[in-house]
Amino acid sequence: METKDLQQETELVSKAQNGDRQALSRLVIEYRNRIYHLGLRLTNSEQDAEDILQETFLIMIKKIHQFKGKSSFYTWLYRIAMNIGLRKLKSKPHKYQHVSINDPDIEKISSTAASEWPTFDYGQISEKRFRKKLDELVEKMPDNYRTVFILRDLHELSTEDTGKILQITPSNTKIRLMRARNYLKEQLEGLVAEEGLI
Amino acid sequence: MKNQSELYKKVCEYLGCDLDSTPCKQIQEYLKVCRNCEVYVDKIKKTVNIYKVADSCDQLPGDICKKLFITLNLNDLNHPEELSEKD
Repeated sequence: METKDLQQETELVSKAQNGDRQALSRLVIEYRNRIYHLGLRLTNSEQDAEDILQETFLIMIKKIHQFKGKSSFYTWLYRIAMNIGLRKLKSKPHKYQHVSINDPDIEKISSTAASEWPTFDYGQISEKRFRKKLDELVEKMPDNYRTVFILRDLHELSTEDTGKILQITPSNTKIRLMRARNYLKEQLEGLVAEEGLI
Repeated sequence: MKNQSELYKKVCEYLGCDLDSTPCKQIQEYLKVCRNCEVYVDKIKKTVNIYKVADSCDQLPGDICKKLFITLNLNDLNHPEELSEKD
């Protein structure tokens, strides 16, 4: 976030803390899309994503006076949403058995003849059937890897902010991200060939 | 083929490391003998991009926005047209 935007947000948060409903409304408008998509990717359920959206902003309104500005506002808000989402996931049986996530096999990378992926046909990616397969791959990842992948790569948060939201160290964030990316790449190797994307 | 320095930065970036960290320095050495690294990094990049493209297709349904503002008791402040056009 740029300095000017950050200042505007700080003012907005301050007004909201003093009971300005218009300021609260502006904060909801600013973050509603991101929170909804966070919930959707985390749970792969539109209903759960809507619940997370509503609960997050209800808590934001209730507790905004407790926000002290020690972290950025969006870090604080994402943390609320993430906690609600993870609690929701724990309360339900897993649809898929979680896969085991490992480090990249460096020996394999260097010894196997590498074939490149040409540019994808991104039009096919938005097709419902292919989207379902992409969603399944993410859903099969254990929560601690999926959350890092969502925050770092899909929501483009920094390593530091991701670590703060998930309450893990920056080193752990990096390791989990590396493994998550590698896992998804390996799964996509078969999928893109099968779907004729290359 | 990209030059060694550029490759090194790309590998580090996609592994999530700081450029001056020990793992990155080790990678720099490794790249001197690893011809497949660039292909590997390119695939990681395309994997992330596929998910970004897929996610960008999702829209927040208008009725969810309306329900949200009603739940938050903020629906008297905004016009529905404004809410659906923002973001």
